[in-house]
Amino acid sequence: MSASAASPGLLRDLTSICGGDHVIEDALKLRRYAIDDVVPRAAVSPGTPAEVAAVLKFAHHHDVVVVPAGGFTHQGTGAIPDAVDILLRTDRLTAVEHYDPGDLTIGIGAGATLAEVERIIAPNRQLLPLDAPLPESCTVGGALAVAAHGPLKHAYGGVRDFCTGIRYVTVDGKLAKAGARVVKNVAGYDMMKLLIGSFGTLAVITGASFKVYPAPRQTRTFIASFAGLPEVVRFRDQVLASPLSPMCLELVSPHAHRLLAGDSNQDDDSWRVLLRAAGSDAVLARYRTELATWRLPPSAAAAREVSGEVETQLWRHVGNWPHAVFEAARNSALVRLDLPLQAVEPALAAAEQAATDNDFLFAAVGRIGAGSLLLAFLPITPDPPAAMHYANAVSALRGALPRDASAIVLRCPLEAKRHFSVWGSTPNDLGAMRAIRDAFDERHILNRGRFLF
Amino acid sequence: MSTLAKQLRRILASDAVLDRPEDVMLYEYDAGLSTGTPALVVFPETTQQVSQVVRLANQQGISLVPRGAGTGLSGGAIARDAGMVMVFSRMRRILEIDPANQRAVVQPGVVNLELSQAVAGYGLYFAPDPASQRVSTIGGNVAENSGGPHALAYGATVNHITGLEVVLPDGRIVEMGGKAGDSCGYDLTGLFVGSEGTLGIVTAITLKLTRVAEAVETLLAIFHSMDDAANTVMALTAEGITPVALEMLDGWTLRCVEEATHAGYPMDSGAVLLIELEGLREAVGEQAGAVREVCRRQNAREVRRAANQQERQLLWKGRKNAFASLGRLSPAYYTQDGVVPRTKIPAVLQFIAGVSKKYGLRIGNIFHAGDGNLHPCILFDIRDPDQVRRTHEAGREILQHCVGVGGTITGEHGVGMEKNELMPILFTDDDLAVMKRVHDAFNPRGVLNPHKLFPTPRSCRETNVVSRPAGGGGI
Repeated sequence: MSASAASPGLLRDLTSICGGDHVIEDALKLRRYAIDDVVPRAAVSPGTPAEVAAVLKFAHHHDVVVVPAGGFTHQGTGAIPDAVDILLRTDRLTAVEHYDPGDLTIGIGAGATLAEVERIIAPNRQLLPLDAPLPESCTVGGALAVAAHGPLKHAYGGVRDFCTGIRYVTVDGKLAKAGARVVKNVAGYDMMKLLIGSFGTLAVITGASFKVYPAPRQTRTFIASFAGLPEVVRFRDQVLASPLSPMCLELVSPHAHRLLAGDSNQDDDSWRVLLRAAGSDAVLARYRTELATWRLPPSAAAAREVSGEVETQLWRHVGNWPHAVFEAARNSALVRLDLPLQAVEPALAAAEQAATDNDFLFAAVGRIGAGSLLLAFLPITPDPPAAMHYANAVSALRGALPRDASAIVLRCPLEAKRHFSVWGSTPNDLGAMRAIRDAFDERHILNRGRFLF
Repeated sequence: MSTLAKQLRRILASDAVLDRPEDVMLYEYDAGLSTGTPALVVFPETTQQVSQVVRLANQQGISLVPRGAGTGLSGGAIARDAGMVMVFSRMRRILEIDPANQRAVVQPGVVNLELSQAVAGYGLYFAPDPASQRVSTIGGNVAENSGGPHALAYGATVNHITGLEVVLPDGRIVEMGGKAGDSCGYDLTGLFVGSEGTLGIVTAITLKLTRVAEAVETLLAIFHSMDDAANTVMALTAEGITPVALEMLDGWTLRCVEEATHAGYPMDSGAVLLIELEGLREAVGEQAGAVREVCRRQNAREVRRAANQQERQLLWKGRKNAFASLGRLSPAYYTQDGVVPRTKIPAVLQFIAGVSKKYGLRIGNIFHAGDGNLHPCILFDIRDPDQVRRTHEAGREILQHCVGVGGTITGEHGVGMEKNELMPILFTDDDLAVMKRVHDAFNPRGVLNPHKLFPTPRSCRETNVVSRPAGGGGI
């Protein structure tokens, strides 16, 4: 199918479903929604789940490919699409479905951004612990589709742990829901788990309900520095074995720190762990005492403390770190690593070596106490490295992982994508996953060609 | 049937197949009142054996129902169509304890509390704590996505499972997840937990171990009225206080419990809250102070504190044996498991009082107030058909009301064969149709746990089977 102009028939039908104001057909405007250089034939913004259903039914009937889209913060993930016929935007599905602060739950449309959710609940001193990168753009639906997370994952778990209900539309136009708006529910299959992290290959999420939490009244961040990775891991294990229960426990590699500081020439080679604690003065004092009495390696610097606006800024930067990587070097590759705790050290060591061997700088941040990290391979030279370098670096990293670990390349140059699978291997049975996909979308109308299989 | 038994004895040990009526009768029940006599009961020892039995069941067209300790409350482990029950009492090994990764790998027959005891030396435990945890198996907890009082803070079973080995209904042995918290691809583990044995048979479970908190404080707040207690629950939320457990008992239930267990509950109060706090010493101390202050403002008559582990256990004993205590008063009882948004608790309790009056049935209230999971317990005499009918109607009316105010029909007991006909209260035909597609992707012929979870299609609804209220133990 042509990637430039939409056929008149397609446009007419989309317009009849959603109204002319909500269909984009202009090739120039559509270019900003290109995915791996594939420009959609049309973009459409349904105003209701029923309109989403009508668009999907239409697409299903005519066998055209639909790509659901939120704020485009994670749309770079996936194999290169064969075609994007309809970009289905969720930007008009933003209504609050339910929110009573006393219930500690909120239900909201998939197109609402994480920042919008925060603006709704923050006045009640509440928190949705979904601190994915670029919250002003990242939507609720997108964050669910890619199972996005940020530093708060350490204490609150992933979005699978606090999403209690979901509303979605299937390719044959069924308006369906699962779960509920209450915090505890075991009626029916847990379709939330299936849709979370399915990268828009099963159904279009139109809304979801979440647990929210009381926001801490006061926090402090302790920054500990170490000469090397083994010391970092030892410190992590010490924290995990202690009675302390920090909100965040975040690894920052030496080069990641330089990117955060916006100073890539800095010659500070230490690894850092950022430990964010919440609580009263007495609780924070306890953290201080514990950290001071632990026998840290001689090379470790005593933990520094930050608070107030500096602390808020620091965490904002850590959360948006993936963005900083591409600001610094747009030809970088960003890898999401999920692995058992004790596999972190060998994996990072292998990644560092793989970077050196293939002329990349290596950087990492992440939830070191939860086994969820983000790695970046940044080109050293201004010229884009050969595609094989990316492929080699990623396979060297994957080769060092245990079989239940995953290394998904979230973003990398288009040329490199042609040379390896961005998804890598999976510990989940492929036959079972295929059966599920076929049960939802046998013809792969949704995100055709982009997923693992 | 004896040929089938013979074939099974070739796969399993000869003493691992029961087919005499007096033997299989023991597997008619779970902790509810639903019953169903299986034709055969088998006791596999390995995953391979499970797979072979599943293949055989397919060939022979006989259904198969996995069963742990039989403590379920929704009939999930009952052979509804006189098929085969597969019991996991011979697969109860802890395969691996991996404290450095905060994980353990267990067979499905491992008892919940035994795992926590096995890892206690590392300062770790398995957080899900259904009231049945002394006997219920982790395989059963996984199938039902069991909760418990501490689910309020630590989540239900699904939040603690990272990987499964499963025998699918076609006999294939598959892996999902592992020790990592997340993985590439669909979250099959999350889907299978809580699928009530309708998608596959779990044969190994990789789970998270949680660190035992440094300090714990258990408070008993005593109120003159249910309203004051219910308002306290909301006031605690408004103050941002996060107990790890927050349980409520009404005054009438309380007196039954006290007579049975001598837990030290006051005999003359309107309601009590059992409030538990955990964490750093400093944080627990402060929160306990804040809880006392909130209770005082909400007219608590008194707030008692468990001074030591013994007193703490006594307070919990009263709560965990609450349903059994009611059993002393009534020949049968029907425990509901509805959930409502927290702000709706006071109004829903009044509604339940109205239902009690309307149907002329005594209803006790024991529940997880912190997360809105109500367990109204309807007392009735099973020998009186009219009472049985009224109980059934009252239960349905309560659950319908729970859904009406934004809640659900089951928070932790599961749907099984007890509430499958109530699913349409909560879900539309389309909601259920999509779930059915997932079911059929794995279990198209219904060889595994048939006639559960989904409402019976209108066309083939049995006329001779009246679904009866379940009762018995409780959470």
